[in-house]
Formats: sequence, structure tokens, C-alpha cells
Amino acid sequence: MNQFSFDSRLKNILIGFMVLGLVCLGITFFVDDELHTRFWTNYLHNSVFFTGIALMSLFIMAAFTTAWSGWHTLVKRIWEAYSLFLIPGLILMLVVIIGIWGHFHHLYHWADAEAVAADPILQGKSSFLNPGWYTFGTLIIVGLWILFAVRIRQLSVDEDANGTTDYDHHRKIRIWSAAFLPLAGFSSAAVIWQWIMSIDAHWYSTLYAWYTGASWFVAAMALTILTIIYLKSRGYLEKVNIEHLHDLGKYMFAFSIFWTYLWFSQYMLIWYANVGEETVYFLERRENYPVLFYGNLILNFVAPFFILMRNDTKRKYGTLVFTSIVVFFGHWWDFFQMIKPGARTTAMEALAHHAGEHGHEMIAHGEMGAHELPFALGYTIPGFLELGTMLGFLALFLFVAFDRLSKASLVPKNDPYLAESLQHHVEIHGEEGAH
Amino acid sequence: MSAVVSPIREPLIEGGKSYRQITEDICSPTESAPNVAWIVAFIISVAALAFYVFCVVWTVWVGIGSWNLNRTIGWGWDITNFVWWIGIGHAGTLISAILLLFRQKWRTGVNRAAEAMTIFAVMCAGQFPLIHMGRLWLGFFIFPYPNTRGPLWVNFNSPLLWDVFAISTYFTVSLLFWYTGLVPDFATLRDRAKGIRKNIYNFLSFGWTGAAKHWQRFESLSLVLAGLATPLVLSVHTIVSFDFATSVIPGWHTTIFPPYFVAGAIFSGFAMVQTLMVITRKVLKLEQYITLGHIESMNKVILVTGTIVGVAYLTELFIAWYSGYIYEQYAFYNRVMGPYYWSYIGMMSCNVLSPQIFWWKKMRRSIFVTFVMSIFVNIGMWFERFVIIATTLARDYLPSSWSYYTPTWVEIGLFVGTLGLFFTLYLIFTRTAPVVAVAEVKAILKSAGDQYLEPNARHAAKVVKEEVETQA
Repeated sequence: MNQFSFDSRLKNILIGFMVLGLVCLGITFFVDDELHTRFWTNYLHNSVFFTGIALMSLFIMAAFTTAWSGWHTLVKRIWEAYSLFLIPGLILMLVVIIGIWGHFHHLYHWADAEAVAADPILQGKSSFLNPGWYTFGTLIIVGLWILFAVRIRQLSVDEDANGTTDYDHHRKIRIWSAAFLPLAGFSSAAVIWQWIMSIDAHWYSTLYAWYTGASWFVAAMALTILTIIYLKSRGYLEKVNIEHLHDLGKYMFAFSIFWTYLWFSQYMLIWYANVGEETVYFLERRENYPVLFYGNLILNFVAPFFILMRNDTKRKYGTLVFTSIVVFFGHWWDFFQMIKPGARTTAMEALAHHAGEHGHEMIAHGEMGAHELPFALGYTIPGFLELGTMLGFLALFLFVAFDRLSKASLVPKNDPYLAESLQHHVEIHGEEGAH
Repeated sequence: MSAVVSPIREPLIEGGKSYRQITEDICSPTESAPNVAWIVAFIISVAALAFYVFCVVWTVWVGIGSWNLNRTIGWGWDITNFVWWIGIGHAGTLISAILLLFRQKWRTGVNRAAEAMTIFAVMCAGQFPLIHMGRLWLGFFIFPYPNTRGPLWVNFNSPLLWDVFAISTYFTVSLLFWYTGLVPDFATLRDRAKGIRKNIYNFLSFGWTGAAKHWQRFESLSLVLAGLATPLVLSVHTIVSFDFATSVIPGWHTTIFPPYFVAGAIFSGFAMVQTLMVITRKVLKLEQYITLGHIESMNKVILVTGTIVGVAYLTELFIAWYSGYIYEQYAFYNRVMGPYYWSYIGMMSCNVLSPQIFWWKKMRRSIFVTFVMSIFVNIGMWFERFVIIATTLARDYLPSSWSYYTPTWVEIGLFVGTLGLFFTLYLIFTRTAPVVAVAEVKAILKSAGDQYLEPNARHAAKVVKEEVETQA
């Protein structure tokens, strides 16, 4: 079957999960502190995570097209569908932006004019970290990504109907793809700094944007593998064979190691130089959030490294599905540990400050809280509400993706590389044999 | 028999070659007397090498005081050259290991020469830390073993020691990888040779007969070495970057250094491959094996890595401002506006701006532009290391010790001399070994030879027809 039909049963299941997500978000809102920190961090966490997966899907597609890779042709409709989640992603981020302007949340220390006035470091950054740039940067940059995603998708779908043997469509896709690569390289860093790094508003690291990008990349690969195996189980994508999955598995394996490489580079250099302005970030996580800190490495390095090292584990559904779930969850966990500790500290300071107007007793309580940071579900580890919220967002992501997927053939039949992808066959030793 | 190949792929072997012609074309340069151009180039290279030896002796005899390093600027041309050469020594193993994993068939045309270049570049790089010790004969102190010197142990906490391990491992694996590929090709040379040449190549080819068992072991070994070499390509320049980034010197201590150094290394490595390939393919008449398509692919790699390096430069500048840390801010202000502003301009224009002309296909396929650009990149990457090292050191924490540094003739002589060493080795290589991997090129003939383009495209169309169109 080359045409995916998004049937009502699947729709209902996904809508059910979206409702679950909404319910979880709602409960979080009401059990929260007065700044609704847990609610807003959960919202930001999932919005950023899934928008990033959409970005990376577009990036992967653009990179593969530019590199004349060919073998991925049978898979590319999935990435096209994923990349279109950038549109809802922008809407999700708009809610965060509205929250900044309306002071509905306290995610960002730099958005608090009073705090900035008392803080020379934040003042120094205020020409970049301010609501205006946050809004403008997000709109322009994600807007540009959407432009590329939509244009590449249009060309690709049009190729099915009007593609010719001079491959003019493909030539245009290649131009758009190549242009997207440097654009994504430069612009993703800017939004990553604003969306996530600026939560720990004093802290900085030059590697941060690439580290975050690598995390998105692995999550996108894992979700791709899971989607392919799901679609195959439903009788779709029958031409996608174990060779394609093997290659995707290799990407998941290699980029898990690459992510670890970036993790290590960032951590080790900061640990070694021991500059207080930088170590504070990791010290906080290692001492107060050990489960998050070490769990991150177990989920995203130890598990994929040891499971996928063997050749045959990348060629079996069981191990592929298991590892994909682990690293997808793992990178979601990674974003959790990037966002929660900083936002929590900001909120505690704000609460303590707020309490200061009422009485000394509460200051003492607030300060004690800020220094000891006791175990708290939803902060030191994800709780059930976080898991429910994540499933809700995942369902939204898949709903959008499946809806887009059903709008075009699963097989891009006039793609010049289609034959290579259909006959994809890799010898153990890497050379493709002549048939 | 034909392969399924997309109709839009370019051929990688031109001229409708047969297997016999491939052997003939690639092996014959090693079997005739060298031409005048080669002899002239060889004389110049050996002269430069001799000057190198002279400068090393001078440094040892007179002492490190014959260089212009001073109390503030303790690393100058020496470490700049070291990092520059190490960077260049990245392309070969990247091409043979990582492009193998990515199944990029164009690597077969250039991998042999690029790997040779890698090995020679690493040898050049290794000279500088040793000479920089001043007392060359104590170089063995870097090896950690129980000794009677106190016992005096190496400092395991120092990235300089990690360098020793990383580079020696990289050199060993690269050499084995290169030599493994050479074994079947040496056997081909042996089978064509007579007399003493036959004996030499017989020895070098380890008694290779081309038996199935031999190929099987060859394949297994190649796979193991590719697996080992892939992380090594990343680790070597990562650890070189640690030499700087583990310190607390503003401008050196920045977390983006490891991946950014690796990207820069691949960038400079490919530039040197281009410099050599443009000349080699012309002189040895290998234009049909190292085609414009190969050159274009490598120019694309240069464009990508140059832009990655550009992203890193701008990230560093931005985060220096963003950090709010005044010493960090000053370090970058000093890079751009300080006494060495010209080297920053050189770095930015050669590494980031000029490669952007490769957005145009016409430029990517122009031999002249490629050659000029490859020289530009080589210069730019040298400047990058000079900017990082000398500019940063020239303005340290204590304004009273700020200084300026210019090299002496000895330091310049050492750099020019390593170029002599490099080209001497490369020129010998082009005369004694097949410059293109004969066996590997033969393996892609059926899928990438120009005479097979049409049958392959027909086959591809047939596959699409059978598997997709009949279904729909």
C-alpha cells in the first residue's frame, strides 16, 4: 500500500492521548506553586522538544539530499511529514511568548525587570535576552524554517504528479536543501540560546547549541525508526526493508555516541578548568539532581552503545524498537534536565522575594528551600503528570505527522533515487555490490 | 550485468576503462623514469628538507633562545605549525574510514593519496613538540614507564600527554589502514615487475596471491581498522583542542573547541588533498580517475566544513560578549582589534568568506579556482592557529607583561623545512606506489564507470517500473 490512510480508529487513539495530556497539564496547573512553575516548565519542555524534532527531520532530509545519499528516498515522506510540525511548533512557542509579555510565567530570570535592575550580569545580556528579541527571533527563525519545510514538501509532492526525467523538481529540492543547511546551522543556535540556555540566565557555554541539536537529532532518528516499524506492521512501506532500518539504526548508534562526545567535551572542559561561573551549572545538577544527571548518561549513552554495538541488533525489530524507545525517552529526559533545575531556582528566588513582602518566616523557608532543593516529583525526576503531558504532545505530533502523511503517496515515485532505495542492499563490509 | 544506479549520478571513472586499462594507467607511472618536473620538484623538496635539518641542529646547538619566544608568548610558530600539520593529517583517514561508512564511492579515487598525505602530515606535526622540548635527546621522557629518574612520571592530568597517546595511536592505525590497502596493489606491481623491483614488491606485498582467503582476511581487517579509525579521526583533534581548552586562558577555554577543531581539521585536510590532487592528476595523467566530479565533491566538503568553522567563530564571539565576563570579552576584542588584527582578517577571509564561492557549481568544477582556494584555505587555517595561540598569549592577565612576537629565521626555516619533508615523502610515494587504489577503483567500475551509465539507468528504470508502477 503506497497510500497511507489515517483511519478514525488511529485518530481516536491519538485524540485520547491528547486529552490525557491536556488533563495532565490541567492537573499540574492546579497542584502547582503560585507561579505555576511546574506547569510552564512542562509546557516549554515538550514544545521545545517536539519542535526541535521537526527541525531536525528537515535538517536530516536536507543533509541527505545535499549529500546525494539516495537510499533514504523511501523514508523521506516521513521526514517531510515530521518537518511540517514546525507550524504547530511555532504556535506552541507563541504561547510561551505571550506568557513572557503577560508575565504569566516565571521561566526566565531575565524577563523579570526588577531582577534585571539588581543584576549587572543580566543587564549586560539584556540587549539579547529581552522579550522583544525572544519574540522576534522565534517568529523570524521558525518562520524561515517553516518556509523551507513547506517549499521542499510542495516540490516533493508536485514531483509525484508532474515529475519528468530531467528531474527538475529534484534539482530545486537540492537547491532549497543546500540553502537550508547553513541557515539551520546559524539560526538554530540563536533560538536554542534563547529558549533553553537563557533559563540558566547567568551561565553560558559555546558548545551548548550543538549539544542540544545532537539531542534532537537522535530523538528524531529514534522516532523515525518507531514510526517506520509501526507503519510496516500496518502493511505500509513494504518496500522499506531491513537494510534501511539497519542504516537508520547505525545513525541512531553513531549519533548517540556523537551526543556523548559533545556531552563529555562540555562537561570535561568545564570540570577541568573549574571556573566558578561555569561549574555552577553542572554542580547544581550533579549534587541536587543526581538521578537526572546520571540517568541521562545511562539512557542516552550506555544503553544505545551496548545494545546497538552488534551488527545484528540493528537488524532486528525487537532490539531496534526497544533502543528507540529508550533513547527517545532519554533525550526527552535530557531536555528535562536542561530546563527544570534552572527554572526551579529562578522560581524559588522569585517566591522567596515575593514572600519577603509578607514576613521573615517565609523568607527563611524560601531560602532554605533554594539551598537544599529537596526531592520533588516533577523537578528532580519526571512524575506521572510529566509522562502524561509528554504522551499528549507526542500524540499531537503524530496526529499532525500522520495527517500530512496521508496527503501524499508514501513512495515518491518520480524521485531520481527511487530505484536505488528500492534495491538498497548493503554488504556487511559496506560496499554496495553490482547486481 | 548492470547495477541499479540513479540516472542523475555522475560517472566516477571516465574513458570507458576496462580492468586492464585501469591497471595499466595507474601502475605505469611507477615503472618509467621520472620526468623533469618531478626531478626539479624533488630537488627543491630535498633542499628544503636539508635546511630543516640545519635549523633543527641550530636550535639544539644554540638552544631554544634562537627562537623569538618570550616570557609572555611561550608558544609561537612551533605549536601553530604542529596544530596546522595535525589538522592536515585528518583528511586521509576521514576519506578512507568515515566516507567508507557513508558509502561515498568517490572516495576510491582519492583515498590512497589522501591517506599517504595524512601519514606524512602527522610525521611533520610530530616534529614540533619534540623540537620544542629543546633537548631532543630527552624526548623519551614522554613515555610513561617505571624508571630510575626519581622515578619521574609523566603528568597524566595533562592534555599534552594525552596528545602523545592520541597521535601515536592515530598514526599507527592510519599507517596500517593505508598499508593494508596497498598490499593487493603492491602485488599487482610485483606481477608486472622484473628483477630487483620484483623482489622488493614481493616482500612488500606479503606474498599476496589474490586467493579468496586473502580477500576475505583483507575485508575483515579493513572493517576492523575502519571501525577503529572512525573515532580516532575525531579524537585526535579533540585532544589537540584540549591542549588549549582545559586551561583558564580567556580565548582558549571554550567548550566548542573540540568539535570546532575537528571541523577545521577536516577543512584544512581537504584543502591539502586538493592542492596535491590537482597537480598529481595532471602530472600522472589520472584525470579519468580523479575526475571533476571528485574535485567538486571535495569542494563541497570544504564549503560545509568552512561554514561550520564560521558558525563556531561567530558563536565564540557572541558567547564572549554574552558571558558578561570581561576577560573573555577582552580576549575576543583583542583578536579582532588588537595588534594581530591582520591575522584575524586573514583567518576570517580565507576560512569563512572565500570558500563561499563554492556555492557556484562553475567554481567548484574549475581547476584553477580549486587550486587557488586550496592554497587560501591552507593559509587561513595556519592563521587560525596563530590567532588562537599568539594573539591570545600576547595579552595575558598582567598588562605589564604584554608583548609582541615575530619569528626568527630559525622558526621560519623549521616550518619551510617541514614542507620539504612533506613533499619529499609525497614525491617518493608517487614514484613507488599506485597513487590511486587499483583494486578499489575496479570494484566500483560496474556501478560508476561511464560506459555503464546508460545500462545502469535503464536497469534503475526497470526496477521502478516493476516494483512501483505495476502495483499502483
